[in-house]
Amino acid sequence: MAGLFGSMSIALSGLAVSQQELETSSNNVANANTPGYSRETAVTEPGAPVVYGPLSIGTGVVLDKIESLRDPILEIQLNQETQQQSSLSTQQEQLQQIQTQFASSTSGIGADISNFFNSIQQLSPDPTNLALRQSVLTAAGNMATDFNNASNFLQTQATNLNLNVTEDVGEVNTLTSQIATVDQQISFLQNAKEDASTLVDQQTNLIRQLSGLIGVQVIQTEKGGIEVATANGTTLVAGGQSYALSTEANATGAEQVMAGSENITGSLSGGSLAGTIQIRDQEIPGLSSQLDQLAAGLSTALNAANAQGFDLNGKAGGNLFVPPPAGGVGAAAAMKVAITDPALIAASSDGTPGSNGNLANLAAVASDAVANGQTPIDSYSNLVFQVGSTTSNTSADLDASNQILQQLEDERGSVSGVSLDEEAANMVEYQTAYGASARVITTINAMLADAVNLGVEAAVQ
Amino acid sequence: MRVNPYPMPDLLAALNQTQLQAQEAALEIASGKSVNEPSDNPINAALLVENNDQATFNTGYLQNLTTINGQLSAADSTLSSVQNALQQAISLGIEGANGTLSASDQQAVVAQLQSIQSQIISLANTSYQGNYLFGGTVTSQPPYTASADPSGVTYNGNSDVNQVSIGNGYQIDINQPGSQLFSAPNNSVFLALNNLILALQSNSGVGAAVNALSAANSYLSVQRVFYGNAMSQVQSQTTYLNAAKLQIAQQQNTLAGVDLATAANNLSQADTDTQAALEAISKVGQNNLFDYLT
Repeated sequence: MAGLFGSMSIALSGLAVSQQELETSSNNVANANTPGYSRETAVTEPGAPVVYGPLSIGTGVVLDKIESLRDPILEIQLNQETQQQSSLSTQQEQLQQIQTQFASSTSGIGADISNFFNSIQQLSPDPTNLALRQSVLTAAGNMATDFNNASNFLQTQATNLNLNVTEDVGEVNTLTSQIATVDQQISFLQNAKEDASTLVDQQTNLIRQLSGLIGVQVIQTEKGGIEVATANGTTLVAGGQSYALSTEANATGAEQVMAGSENITGSLSGGSLAGTIQIRDQEIPGLSSQLDQLAAGLSTALNAANAQGFDLNGKAGGNLFVPPPAGGVGAAAAMKVAITDPALIAASSDGTPGSNGNLANLAAVASDAVANGQTPIDSYSNLVFQVGSTTSNTSADLDASNQILQQLEDERGSVSGVSLDEEAANMVEYQTAYGASARVITTINAMLADAVNLGVEAAVQ
Repeated sequence: MRVNPYPMPDLLAALNQTQLQAQEAALEIASGKSVNEPSDNPINAALLVENNDQATFNTGYLQNLTTINGQLSAADSTLSSVQNALQQAISLGIEGANGTLSASDQQAVVAQLQSIQSQIISLANTSYQGNYLFGGTVTSQPPYTASADPSGVTYNGNSDVNQVSIGNGYQIDINQPGSQLFSAPNNSVFLALNNLILALQSNSGVGAAVNALSAANSYLSVQRVFYGNAMSQVQSQTTYLNAAKLQIAQQQNTLAGVDLATAANNLSQADTDTQAALEAISKVGQNNLFDYLT
C-alpha cells in the first residue's frame, strides 16, 4: 500500500508537472512574436502504476516531453515557395529598372529612329540646305547617344549585379556554417535524448533564410541530422559540416558561383542568387544583343545607302556612322556618327548638289529589314514588347508566389503559431490543477495530523 | 481547424495591395496615361512606339507639303508670268508681221521684244529660298545665261528631277527642268523668241516666227499643267494627312489614354479599401483572454 506519504508524492508530481506546464505556456507567450518559433506543449502521461495483486495503483503524473508543434511538410513547402518568391522578387525589381529605359514612346531610341528618318524626309525638298543637313546629323547623333546610353545602362546594371552575387554567396556561406553548427548541437542533444526543439526552430529559421538566397533541398538523415544541397546536388551542409561556395570572375568579369573548382552558376535555381543570375546572364545579354543587332543593322544599312550617293561637294558618299564591330557585338555601345560636316551627307544621286535622289535610298532604310528580319522601328517596338511582357509576367508570377507563400504562412501559423487566448486558457487550467494538487497536500497534511496526534486538530510542525 | 493567430501579415499585404492600387490610379490620373511603363500593357507599349513613328512622319510629311507647295506655286506663278510675257511678244510679233510699221516703229518693237526676252531669262532664273527653280537638280546657279547661241541663251542646268515623299510610299516630282520648259528641243521658247527678233530685224519670215513662238507657248502651257497637278496632289494629300493626324492622335489615346472617370473611381475605391484595411488592422488583436483574467 502506498499510504499517506504515497498520496503526498502523487500530489507533489501534480504540482511539479503543473509548474512545468505553466513554464511551457510562459515560454510560448514570451515567444509569441519570435519569427520561426513553433509553439510547444507539455506532453504528460500517468506515472507507472504500482501493482499489488489485482490492484493497479497510480503514482501521479510525469512530464513525458515538451513537444514543438510543427508540420515538416509545410516547412518544406515554405522553403520551396520562399526560393521561388525570392528569385521572382529579385528579377522583378531588376526588370522594373530595366524597363524605365524603354518606357517612353516619345523619347529614347524609338523616337530617335523616327526623328532621324523624318529628318531625312525633311531634307528632301531642299537638299542643299545646311540647316536641314545639320538636323539630320543632330538626329543621327541623338540616335547614337541613346543607343550608347541604353547599352551602357544595361552593362552597368550587369556589373552591379556581380556585387549582389558575391554578397549573396557570402551570406549563403554564413548561413550554411550556422546551420552546420546548430546541426551538431541538435545531434548532440538528440543522442543524449534531450529536447532540441528550440534549436530545430532556429535551424528551420536559418534554412528559411538560406532559401531566400539559393535554391536548396533539405534531407533528414537517419542519424537525426540534416543534409543541405543545392538543386543540382552540390552539398552545402552534411554531417554537421558546411561547405562554402566561392565566387570567381570569368573572362568577361561576370562573377561565377563556384563549389570548389566546379562552376555551378548555370545550374542554380531559386533564391535571389538564381534571380540575379537569370537577369545578369539571360535577360540583360538578350536585350543588349538585340540593341547591338539593331545598332549594327542601322549603321551598316545607312552607310551603304550613303555610299550610293554624292555629297554636297560632288564626291561619292562615305560612312555616316563608324562601321560597327564585326559580328555586331558591342555595336550599340560603340555607335557613333562618323562625320561632323553636314555637307558630307550624300543626298545627291547625280553628283549635282541640288539632287535629292539618294535621300530616297537613305529613307528606304526605315522600311528595310535591318535587324532580325524587321524594320528598325518594328525591331525596337518588338524589344519594348519583350521588356514589358517579361516584366509583367514576372510581376504576375511574383503576385501568385506571394499569395501562395502567404497562404502557407497562414497554415504554418495555424499549426505552429502561439495563440494568446489558448495560452491564457491553458494557464487557467494549469493554475487550477496546481491549486487542486496543493489542496490535496493540505488535506493529506491534515490527515497526517489526525493520524499522528490521535484526533487532536493540530498541524504537524 | 485552428485559426492562424497571426493575422497581421495578411492584413498588411492587403493594405499594401490597396495602397498600390491607389498609387497606380493616381499616377494614371496625374500623367493622363494608362501605359506609363511597358509592363502596364506590353502590346500597347509596343504599338505606341509605332504610333509615335507614324505621328512623327505625319508631321514631317505635312511640313514637306508646306515647303513644296510654296516652291510649286512660286514656279507656277513664274510660268504664268512667262506666258503673259510670251503672249505680249506674240501680239508684238503679229503687229510686226503686218508690214505696215515704220522703220522706227519696227525698231521699237524689236527693243520691246528684247526687253521681253531678258524678262523671260530673268523669270527662268527665278529662285525660291535660294534654290533656282528651273535648272533641274542644278539649283545653285542661274539656269540661263544670255549667249551667242541661236536661242540667245545657254542652259546651265540638267534634265534631272527631284522627288519628295509626301506619304508612306507616296513620292511626287517637285520640279520640271528648264530644258523641258523653256528650251525643249522642238519647242524652245527662247529659240522661237530669238528667231522672231531676228526675223523682225531682217524683216523676213516674221509670220512663220510668230507661229513658231505661239506653238512654243502652247507647249509651255501643256508643261505647266505639271505644276497644277502637283499642287492639287499636295492639296489633297494635306487634307488626307490632317485627317490621318487626328486618327493617329485618336489611336494614341485608345492605346494609352486614361478613362478619367474609371481612374477616379478606382482611386476612390482604393482609398475606401485602404481606410477599411486600416480600420481592420487597428481593431485586430486588441483583446485576448488575458485581458479578462483577474
